Amino acid sequence: GGAMSFLKRFPPPAEGVRHRQPDTEAVLAGRSLGAGTLYIAESRLSWLENSGVGFSLDYPTISLHAVSRDLSAYPWEHLYVMVNAKFEEEDTKEAPVAEGEEEDSDDDVEPIAEFRFVPSDKSALEAMFSAMCECQALHPDPDDEDSDNDYEGEEYDVEARELEQGDIPSFYTYEEGLLHLTAEGQATLERLEGMLAQSVSSQYNMAGVRTEDSIREFEDGMEVDIAPVVAGQFEDAEVDH
Amino acid sequence: MEVSHSVKERTIAENSLVILLQGLHGHVTTVDLRDESTATGRLTNVDAFMNMRLAEVTFTDRQGTVSHLDELFVTGRNVRYVHIPDEVDIRATIERQLQAIHRVRYFGARDKGRKEFPRAKHK
Repeated sequence: GGAMSFLKRFPPPAEGVRHRQPDTEAVLAGRSLGAGTLYIAESRLSWLENSGVGFSLDYPTISLHAVSRDLSAYPWEHLYVMVNAKFEEEDTKEAPVAEGEEEDSDDDVEPIAEFRFVPSDKSALEAMFSAMCECQALHPDPDDEDSDNDYEGEEYDVEARELEQGDIPSFYTYEEGLLHLTAEGQATLERLEGMLAQSVSSQYNMAGVRTEDSIREFEDGMEVDIAPVVAGQFEDAEVDH
Repeated sequence: MEVSHSVKERTIAENSLVILLQGLHGHVTTVDLRDESTATGRLTNVDAFMNMRLAEVTFTDRQGTVSHLDELFVTGRNVRYVHIPDEVDIRATIERQLQAIHRVRYFGARDKGRKEFPRAKHK
């Protein structure tokens, strides 16, 4: 029989490989392509048969992937991958496929190929699934019409405006943050802590401001509504000094 | 669900209805896909690009064949419609997610010299 024409020889990916699963069978539309190794890399998904030929799938063409353990649907636990593309099979497009994998008329509109990757080690499926989720997230849809991609405008840069700073890639936990304090930040921290020390001694507590103790207590910093220690002293957080 | 650590993703969520989907974490949800298949399962993650992760999924493919999938990840591009579960209060969900984002914004990086006092409108 003819080989699958989309199979090519290429070296295994070397960079950005999030997961490598040897001894994995690849199945396309119910037809086995043999045993090989699946490479879940940041740039693309590749499978190489032990003989050295295989194929790659680009993440933007992958509509979904899933872990299937439903043996009544398919006899082996596997990673299911649905791709928005046509892959040539041995029984090619012209004649209707006798076996029963019927070509629907809407295949012309929406080509779909179904791959199954069946690892001999079933316990690896979770890791394979997660690695694929991570890699998929690295390839957001460039043709996204729905979401307004113009979030770079100044009116969206709420956080920078609040801080009068520029690009903030992430926020720090308390411990990390201390390590990253600039001289100015350190001065600010000391000034605020000094104010706290004064206010503690005069039995005031500013709502929402953390002393050393309360920082440890609220590790994730998510507590907002802290009642004043001395009830009734003041209703809101604005305390003049 | 946890608010994203990415400023860009928080901004996108805050300015689109993705924020509603992110509030559906844990709910059994039905998602209609672009190819006319549907997936019903417990929503475990939605990112700002509407990539969705579901667990314990009943998947009906476009030919009507039903199967069960332990976990499913569908790209935002392939989501046509999300059925908001009846028990979900849409407005309350959005408000709760916005509050979570604002908490992260105002208290997440206090050691970088951010203002420590909550603004009046956020009390």
